[in-house]
Amino acid sequence: MSMMLDRRSVLWGGLSALSLATFHTPALAQAARLRMIWWGSQERADRTNKAIAAFKGAKPDITIAGEFAGWSDYWPRLATQVAGRNAPDLIQMDYRYIFEYARRGALAPLDDYIGKGLKIEDFGKANVDSGRVDGKLFGVNLGVNSSVVIYDKAAWEKTGAKAPSLGQTWEEFAENAIAFGKKKPKPGYYATADASGLEPSFENYLRQNNKALFAADGQLGYEASDVASWFKMWDGIRKAGGCVPADVQALDQLNIETNALTTGKAATAFAHSNQFVGYQALNKSKLSLTAYPKVSASSPTGHYLKPSMLMSVSATSQNVQSAVDFINFLVASPEGVDLLGVERGVPASTAMRDQLTTKLDDVSKAMVEYIAAITPNVGALPINPPQGAGELAFVLTRVSQEVAFGRITPEEGGERMVSEAKNTLARK
Amino acid sequence: MASQTETMHRGSRTAALRGQSAFRRMLDRNAAGYVFLLPWLLGFFGLTLGPALASLYLSFTNYDLLQSPDWVGAANYVRILTDDPKFGAAMRVTFTYVILSVPLKLAFALAVAMAFNRGIKGLTLYRAIFYLPSLLGSSVAIAVLWRQLFASDGLINMALWQAFGYEGPSWISNPDYALYTLVLLSIWQFGSPMIIFLAGLRQIPKDMYEAAEMDGAGKARQFFRITLPLLTPVIFFNSVIQTIEAFKAFTPAFIISEGTGGPINSTLFYTLYLYQEAFGFFRMGYASALAWILVVIISLFTAFSFLGARYWVHYDD
Repeated sequence: MSMMLDRRSVLWGGLSALSLATFHTPALAQAARLRMIWWGSQERADRTNKAIAAFKGAKPDITIAGEFAGWSDYWPRLATQVAGRNAPDLIQMDYRYIFEYARRGALAPLDDYIGKGLKIEDFGKANVDSGRVDGKLFGVNLGVNSSVVIYDKAAWEKTGAKAPSLGQTWEEFAENAIAFGKKKPKPGYYATADASGLEPSFENYLRQNNKALFAADGQLGYEASDVASWFKMWDGIRKAGGCVPADVQALDQLNIETNALTTGKAATAFAHSNQFVGYQALNKSKLSLTAYPKVSASSPTGHYLKPSMLMSVSATSQNVQSAVDFINFLVASPEGVDLLGVERGVPASTAMRDQLTTKLDDVSKAMVEYIAAITPNVGALPINPPQGAGELAFVLTRVSQEVAFGRITPEEGGERMVSEAKNTLARK
Repeated sequence: MASQTETMHRGSRTAALRGQSAFRRMLDRNAAGYVFLLPWLLGFFGLTLGPALASLYLSFTNYDLLQSPDWVGAANYVRILTDDPKFGAAMRVTFTYVILSVPLKLAFALAVAMAFNRGIKGLTLYRAIFYLPSLLGSSVAIAVLWRQLFASDGLINMALWQAFGYEGPSWISNPDYALYTLVLLSIWQFGSPMIIFLAGLRQIPKDMYEAAEMDGAGKARQFFRITLPLLTPVIFFNSVIQTIEAFKAFTPAFIISEGTGGPINSTLFYTLYLYQEAFGFFRMGYASALAWILVVIISLFTAFSFLGARYWVHYDD
């Protein structure tokens, strides 16, 4: 018996030692420790980490631990962390998702900090309001961007075809791309990537036709015939050898690294303007940028200025003030703004933009000039996307592939897109 | 009478006492064992059984991770089974994959095992090398490599061009071929069934072959009359394990299609569809229902395999 007792006491002793070891290690932190999460390329991570380090120099008692992921892995990761009551303090937000997160109470309202640590008065109303949901400020604009056509000017000129330029129509663009294809410098190289499955490109086309992805009532803002004419235009370009074939386009994983321009398959890409920095970093030849082609000379440009991304604070953060201090450092202090540059878009603050522009290299300067050039003709920000909107981008890509691989006609593609989109939106 | 009830009382009390002490004695005797089992028990209840039961509950709800689950009864199951074209697409892809990859992989594994069994020099080394793909096969790196191999200007097409002057399509991003590149990837990971086959082949007594040879049976006849029948238990084991593995395949399709199951849903494995619903569109309830349907499908498959086994599996006793 005594031997048993001994063994038992050893066991319990061991267990309590274990529990001590497990439960008494934390609780040492005194200064504010914040976590931050963002999506983006390595280029963005480098810039963000530099800004974090500089902020630490300015405010040594605030430590920020950053983590980042690619766009498609980012949202699952964020959602699971929020659901697990383990949300990072600082959350990079997208215009599409901020409504879902804010309305579900996952983000902290920041109105009370405006003027008190958050100096965003010179953003202009539109750029402040792009972070508002139902009248309250849940995100701070990290940069302004718009859709853009990025192209390799030298490659176009070599074929004698006319490169994309401001004010070109889609018809001219298609003719030029086909001309490029007839004189292409090497096999397997095309004038342009195929944008028929890219939602931002399709949206731009809709806006040129005075339509939109979503109507004010949250229903679809377009009809089957709109999709069909979009598919038909690209089908014409594709069949005439003007853009990459379907199986090459299908290799595009909707990021800079796998775009046909970067992989050396095409001379033109359809992208977001802030990505110009990233595209140039990965492409040897010098790239240029211009606005989308238009459906007719007199049509709207289809462009609008969008917050490329927003910075939000988690509703569960214990250090909202410190988080706001860091956001302010990123958007309203010359040091932070200079470190981020225009990789997240053009700074919304006029004062910051002006002081930054003088220090920029040619690539970034071209991007700022592009935004300045299209600004007089941009339209209003589109209405809040309804629930389920995120899935429609994938539906568009899939239906566009069915057309591109010749499984269905552009007209059938239009019907299918609209019926699947309606089904998805009707779903709870 | 009174004394009788008293005895009964006393009796039950002593029984209870005895029971208690028996329990204590049992605890004393086995406490150490349970403590050593604790990590596994915690893992099983906390990380396997708990979440599994939670997902069963969630499958009857709408749950978007951010708001609390909303009870909807069997609505998710009804939608999956009656009104979900993507479920149909995912089933087609998954069954095609299982039906193609399992027999091909097993046949290949058996062929390699038989080659090894003829007694070659440096067997251990070869066995290790041939096993390597199985260790690496489900990793992200290999899926990325596969993507490079079978892309439009990948190694495969370069070789085809050099050898035959044939300009191949982009295998990995063409809906006609994408799934078959994944089947190929699966066959390439033949290592673990191969090792098991090899062990099974070793069990077959040599004298049987000698006797058969004396009786004038050729190699083919020996294979079909001796090797295959005596190997059936091993074939059965391998096929059940590989079928379950194939139903659960996820990583290659996820990496190769960047989680989209594309092009045109041609690589939309069931698990990938489940993942999309859960983490792409935040329909955790719907995804849980999909997961339970997969559990049922795999269980049925396994059950039928065991039922069918008595007709073809030959246990040597």
